[in-house]
This record gives sequence, C-alpha cells and structure tokens, in this order.
Amino acid sequence: MCKYLFTVILLFITLNNFVFSQDDQEVTPLPGMRGTPSNLPDISVIGDITGKLSSEPTDFDRNKILVREIELALQGYIYPEIRADVFLAMHRHDEHFEPEICEAYVSFLRIINGLSLKAGKIHVDYGKINKVHEHHRPYTNQPVALTNFFGEHGLVGEGVTLGYLMPLPLFMQIDIGAWRLEGKHHHEEDEEKSLTFGLADEVYTGRLWSSFPLGETSELELGASVAAAHGSHYQEHQDNAKVFGVDLTFKLWPSTYERLIFQNEIFNLHREIPVGKLNRWGFYSYLGYQFNKYWDAGLRYDWSENAFPENKKTNSLSGIITNRLTETTVIRLQCDYNFGLKSYNAFLQLVFGIGPHSHPLQ
Amino acid sequence: MNKIMLNILMIALLLPTNIFPSTKLKVVTATADLADFVRVIGMDKVEVVSLTSGNQDPHFIEPRPSMVMKVKNADMLVRLGMDLDIWMQSLIDASRNSKVSYGGVGYVDVSGKIDKLEVPTGKVDASMGDIHIFGNPHYWLDPENAKPILETILKKLCYQLPSETEYFQKNYKEYLQKLDSAIVVWKKKMEPYSGEKIVTYHNSWPYFAKRFGLSLVGFVEPKPGIPPTPSHIVSLIEKIKREKVKVIVMEPYFILKVAETIAEQSRSKVIVLSPSVGGIEGIKTYLDLFDYNINKLVESLKN
Repeated sequence: MCKYLFTVILLFITLNNFVFSQDDQEVTPLPGMRGTPSNLPDISVIGDITGKLSSEPTDFDRNKILVREIELALQGYIYPEIRADVFLAMHRHDEHFEPEICEAYVSFLRIINGLSLKAGKIHVDYGKINKVHEHHRPYTNQPVALTNFFGEHGLVGEGVTLGYLMPLPLFMQIDIGAWRLEGKHHHEEDEEKSLTFGLADEVYTGRLWSSFPLGETSELELGASVAAAHGSHYQEHQDNAKVFGVDLTFKLWPSTYERLIFQNEIFNLHREIPVGKLNRWGFYSYLGYQFNKYWDAGLRYDWSENAFPENKKTNSLSGIITNRLTETTVIRLQCDYNFGLKSYNAFLQLVFGIGPHSHPLQ
Repeated sequence: MNKIMLNILMIALLLPTNIFPSTKLKVVTATADLADFVRVIGMDKVEVVSLTSGNQDPHFIEPRPSMVMKVKNADMLVRLGMDLDIWMQSLIDASRNSKVSYGGVGYVDVSGKIDKLEVPTGKVDASMGDIHIFGNPHYWLDPENAKPILETILKKLCYQLPSETEYFQKNYKEYLQKLDSAIVVWKKKMEPYSGEKIVTYHNSWPYFAKRFGLSLVGFVEPKPGIPPTPSHIVSLIEKIKREKVKVIVMEPYFILKVAETIAEQSRSKVIVLSPSVGGIEGIKTYLDLFDYNINKLVESLKN
C-alpha cells in the first residue's frame, strides 16, 4: 500500500508541476524570487533584544538586557511550486548562545487538488500559536501550557506533514504529520532542565482547523489538534503521552487598522508512566485590540498544570502594549503577574527585521 | 480495510476543487478596481469577487482563511503586483490552486505593462520608510493606466474562454470608448488647475498628479508608512504656506486629525478622495471613482 501511495504522490507531483509560461511582460517577482539579478534567495534577519525585570532572584535574565535570539532566514523557490525555507537561529540559553536550525523545510505547495506536503524541520501545525515563530507572536513569552506540555520552544520536529484543504464551501484543512524529536537524558542536563517535559522519539500529529466568516468584518476560527509520542525523558520515565488541543479564535476588524482578537487554546495531556496515569490541563486566553496602524494592547491569562506527578499549577496574567514600527519591527512592553508565586516579570522587547521575510498563512 | 481507506483517500484527492461548479469563469481580484475592470469586459460570463474593499488600506490587509476559499475556487486571479498586494501570496499558497499560482493559466499581474514611476535606482532599505522596490504601486490612479490593465485582463479572459473572445473584445472596445470620453471630460475639468500644488497624506497620488498636471509638494507622512513627527508637521506647515498649497488630500482610512491640524495652521483644506472603488459611499465603478475625485478636487481648488 505504501509503495502504491508513494507512486501516486510522485505521479501527481510530476503532473501538477508543469510551468505555464507567463506573458512576455515584466510581472512582479514573488516573495522568494527577490534576489535578482544574482539568483539569491530572499535573505532576512530577525533579532529579538529583550530587557527583563523580575522579582525572582534565581532568574538568570533578571535585570538584564539580552539578545534572546537572532534568526537568519533564507527563502526561495527550488522548483516551480516547490519552495525551501531555512531559518537558522542563535538562541540564548542562560550565559551562552546555541546555534540551531529553527526550521528548514521544503514545501510542495500543490501536489493535487488541495493537497500539499512539507518535509524537514518544522514548527508543527499544532494549535494556533505553536507554529508561529516567537518574534511574530503578540507577546514576549510563550503561553505556559505550551511550555509545560511541549517544552521551551514548543513542538518542533523533523519529519513530514501533509496538509489537505477540503473541497467544501468553508475553509477546512486537515494536517497530519509524522516527526522525529530528539529525546533527552538526565545526565546531559542540569537538574532544572531535567524537570522539563516535552514529546520525543516518533511523534504523530494531527490537526483539523476551520474558519467561519461571521460577516464582512469578523471571522471565527476553530481547531482541534492531537500529538502522540514518548515523553522527552523516555529512557528514565518510560512514559507515553498524548496531548489533545482545542483552539478558538475570534477576529473582528471594525475598520481598516482596528482589530479585535480573542484567542483561546486548551490543552489536555494524558501521560502514562509505569506507576500510573497523569491527566493534566492547561489553557491560555488572549484578548488583543489594535487601536490604529501603530499600536495594540492585549491581556493574556495563563492557567496550567505541569506534566509531573507532583502537580504544580501556574496561574498568571500578562498585560502587553506593542508599538509596531513596521511589519517586522516592534517595541513591546509586557508585565506578568504570577498569582501562585506572587511574583512579577516585566519585559521590554525590541524585535527588529531586515530584509524580506515571510511566513505561510497561520 | 486498508484498500477501502485508500480508495476513499483517492476519491477525496480527485474530487474537483469546487464541488459546486458554475458555468461562469470565477475571478478573484486584489482590489475592487480590478474587480470592476474584469466585470466590464467579462460581463455575464464572469463571477468576480474582490478580496478587499475600497475603504481598506491596500498595504495593510490581513489574510484570512475565508479568503483562501475564494482563491481556491477561482479560475483566474488578478493582482496589482509591485508588492502592494504581497499579502495575497500566503493565500495563493494556502489555496493549492495551480491555476492561479505564479505562472498558472489564471495568474494575472496587471502591473506588467505599466510605465512605472519612482522606481528606485540605488540601494533601498527601511531608512527610507516603506519603499516599494518595484516603484510606486498606486498606478491605477492614472486613468490612462486603466488601458494596459484592461488589455492584460482581456488577453487572459480570451485565453481562458476562447469561445467568448469576440464578446470580450466587444465589451473591451465599448468600455475603452467610455473611458476615453470620460478622460477628456476629467482633463478638461482639471485644466484650469494645471500646476496647482497639493500635499497628500501618503505618497499614493503621483500617477494621478502627473496625469492631471498637479504638483505634489509634500506629504503628511515624513517617509512612506512613517507617522508624522512634530518637527515634520512644523516644516510641512511652513512649506504649505510658502508654496500656497490649497488642499491636503487624504484617503478615507487615514486619521484626519493630524492633517486637519496642519490645514488649520496653514490655512489650507483637507479633502478626502477615494483611492479605490467603494472607498467612499456611492463610488461603485472605476468611472465613478474619477468622477467623484475630480469633482471633489475641482470644487476644493475653485474655492
């Protein structure tokens, strides 16, 4: 069956990638075709410089202004309707930087009616915010539930994903993926990092997302996601995990620059360990309002249990104000208050962008 | 079981993109102006949907999943190009519709035959503001530019529906006549104001100004896309007084307050013109757009 499927997919890739000649007129090159005349891909750099004040004395980032991440993006077409996107990043991990392939994938944009394929290292299509790069998110830090159930950088895997846009009058897309994520071992890390949870080894994911226009100026997006795999410390814990997610996003555009967004994601972790089962929940709710072309403000509420037998709950509220200088350059002030620890964090973030930078519809 | 699953999968993949087929050619456009152009040539043989309305800033459109379906179901996609509708690309990719993707039979970028203004010759970067590297993209605001746009659309429509070539050509010629007559009227109305200096909020009107002999002497934005600073406002007020500028032209989506303050202090007047069809109530066609804008401008300059 696999062989048959593989042949069919290859056949459709071939049949569907005929290039139709454009008229003899100079039309605008697409993003990914800007490097003329020297055939360079689109090259861009995104930087994230963040200052942090914290009431937590053990926080390494406390009272410092640090470069959190520098991302270099190389994007271009490698064949008609096949493009490659490479995002290389230098991430700060406490005192040092670590080079990382943030994402590197090839997209077969159209295999056959509604079907596309991506292969490589990818921010997995799971929920609404996981696939959005940190510098594109409307807040400085990742929602707590995402960190508790998928780790510091969310769910990022090496593998393949198929996306199918269903032949319906409404937008409805199914994404299924098979991934390989590296596991972790306690002896490789410090004690604190050993306490992080994530998915590892063979990871299987699925997502169904749909959108319903509620009128000319509003839209409701609904999604359901699932991920199944071993835990990231499988060798020590012998655990299997499934994370189910449901997301709901409402957007309203009262005028050309004003936008209201109400985004919610709920996660449910089922973790089976030799001594029993854990059933953990987490969610975040974000309400944002863009006042005009340059300013927006938002509130995010986080509530999450952790993924360990000793259940610790996080309960926090964040207030965010963002000034958008350009599409990729923003200045953001964010204040978090953790109700459980009675602690606060304040961030002043500058995200800057140089060069043409693009991401798929998210 | 596997065989059944495989058959279901294959049937799903082979289903037509649109399960509710229509005999009309489905066209999706970036703007309402382009939709009007397609409509006047295609008439009852086409079904046109614009992804934006005229009261939206074309630089600032958020792609929505519902738009993906419009692109997915389209036989033809008409875009302005020159990076003004760069937001369309994620929709085209998400639609997985080969017909309307770059190089596809239904992909139309109407900027190809335009004589472009303000094409940067040196290095371009964000220190210059939101500069379009392929030139100023507001070219449809010169009614003469409607002609190459219409010609490009005609060519693609005839290619898509060859049996209707005669019909499309007839509609195209009739519309060109109407457009030519209207251009004569608009030019005549603007003639007394040739050389008149104007200030605009954003650099959206160079094609319009060139066609009707107006002189653009300044912008409320210090650089494209950059909000006005106090020092720029002060210098602009001085410039308006010095150059004896009578009007500051705004688009309906920009905030009037700053321009009104400038106008008040420089004894000029703010007028809101529509950059696109549907930008102001009552402007339903491309011809209406110029009728409105020319009349409004003439009325303001006269006073």
